[in-house]
Amino acid sequence: MFRNQYDTDVTTWSPAGRLFQVEYAMEAVKQGSAAIGLRSKTHVVLGCVNKANSELSSHQKKIFKVDDHIGVAIAGLTADGRVLSRYMRNECINYSFTYESPLPVGRLVVQLADKAQVCTQRSWKRPYGVGLLVAGLDESGAHLYYNCPSGNYFEYQAFAIGSRSQAAKTYLERRFESFRDASRDDLVKDALMAIRETLQGETLKSSVCTVAVVGVGEPFHILDQGTVQQMIDAFEIVAEQEGPAAEPDADAGQEASAEPEPEQGAAAGEGVAPMDI
Amino acid sequence: MQFTASKQTENCLLGPESDSQRTLYPYVTGTSVVALKYKDGILMAADMGGSYGSTLRYKSVERMKPIGKHSLLGASGEISDFQEILKYLDELILYDNMWDDGNSLGPKEVHNYLTRVMYNRRNKFNPLWNSLVLGGVKRGEKYLGTVSMIGVNFEDNHVATGFGNHLARPILRQEWHENLSFEDGVKLLEKCMRVLLYRDRSAINKLQIAKITEEGVTISQPYSLKTYWEFSAFENPTQGAVGSW
Repeated sequence: MFRNQYDTDVTTWSPAGRLFQVEYAMEAVKQGSAAIGLRSKTHVVLGCVNKANSELSSHQKKIFKVDDHIGVAIAGLTADGRVLSRYMRNECINYSFTYESPLPVGRLVVQLADKAQVCTQRSWKRPYGVGLLVAGLDESGAHLYYNCPSGNYFEYQAFAIGSRSQAAKTYLERRFESFRDASRDDLVKDALMAIRETLQGETLKSSVCTVAVVGVGEPFHILDQGTVQQMIDAFEIVAEQEGPAAEPDADAGQEASAEPEPEQGAAAGEGVAPMDI
Repeated sequence: MQFTASKQTENCLLGPESDSQRTLYPYVTGTSVVALKYKDGILMAADMGGSYGSTLRYKSVERMKPIGKHSLLGASGEISDFQEILKYLDELILYDNMWDDGNSLGPKEVHNYLTRVMYNRRNKFNPLWNSLVLGGVKRGEKYLGTVSMIGVNFEDNHVATGFGNHLARPILRQEWHENLSFEDGVKLLEKCMRVLLYRDRSAINKLQIAKITEEGVTISQPYSLKTYWEFSAFENPTQGAVGSW
């Protein structure tokens, strides 16, 4: 994307019908460190890569609990993310107070999207530079949404945002059909695998990632480092046993993945590009 | 230009509105509402009287109304305030339906919303002069609660307002049990309403019984209870009266 004369104001359209400031805001999301989310019928798992600036500093908080039944992972300008998390917490607690009932996540997401849209239509504001993966439960089951700086929101079975998220998305695309009925632990393992994809060869340790879970009967909480490391150890061992670490389909019960065809066929024959090995 | 004497100086606590804007006393009132949980949902009964002080002025007032898909609201007290509450709830349910997202406000949510409304009005010294009974069923869960004009709210297996608390609740405490059949529930409610008819001056013999189950709300046509007045003590009422002069 190059500088042009239509990109100074968010309230200026380009002749091609684009709002460049909004698109630049979405670039900011792409530059942030990765965050992924996936869901089954009963659980949603969020994960993110947590790189500290130096060994001396602490990690940036990228996953926030919004309510017992809703949590959010952010990528992009984390300060904007913090402010939006505070807004979401407020909305949830106000609804709970008035109705003694949890705010349905679908409604929270629409309120968030409307808030983001306002910033795309005021000359004295700028769009929020953060993408949010909102995970939550409501009457109709488990949900995962992605909220854009543009004010759009989409519901996903699984998604990844931030830098090098394409690798994670490719992994998720291959595996998403198994997520619906997966157990909670399998879902967490899949999340860790997806995070590993974004690390591009770096070792996956609990110190570089954060994982959070919400599910039926399980309030939203961030898994502690010990538990995460245990799960990493459990499946890294299995991955080694599979032979070359080219295709990390390490779950028990999966056939050896020498042939990608049957899986691509399962992925609705969409012509998913085979992962570069 | 005319200047009217301001009442503000008398009572600064009440803010800029003059007294004519606050509820001070009720005018047209409904008497007790009685409700209980039974096997399939909630049964609620209320008569159709609207009293104007001690005059039984209106005799076709519907004091129970369905709210949304899952709830039933009964009210005693000021009828105009009940109508105002119905307006608020209508708007609430409308916005809830407009989301069109598979979520809906159940009886618990409506009850809590009403509690907030009643309590906030009480805090502003401008109450909605009602005692409300909110019952409903959602996803198999039965719910029955009540809110008063000062914001006191609670849930129970059987509730009543006004005189119902004194005359009907004791009967219900003795005779209510889990999983009443529809017929037994109606019989129990009619027993309570009969006592209220005998003993509450503002009760009239024209009542409706409403039921709410998972399927929905049904409010019966108005009907009256059989009463018995042939007690011998009524034959010559002044016989044993002692004169005072």
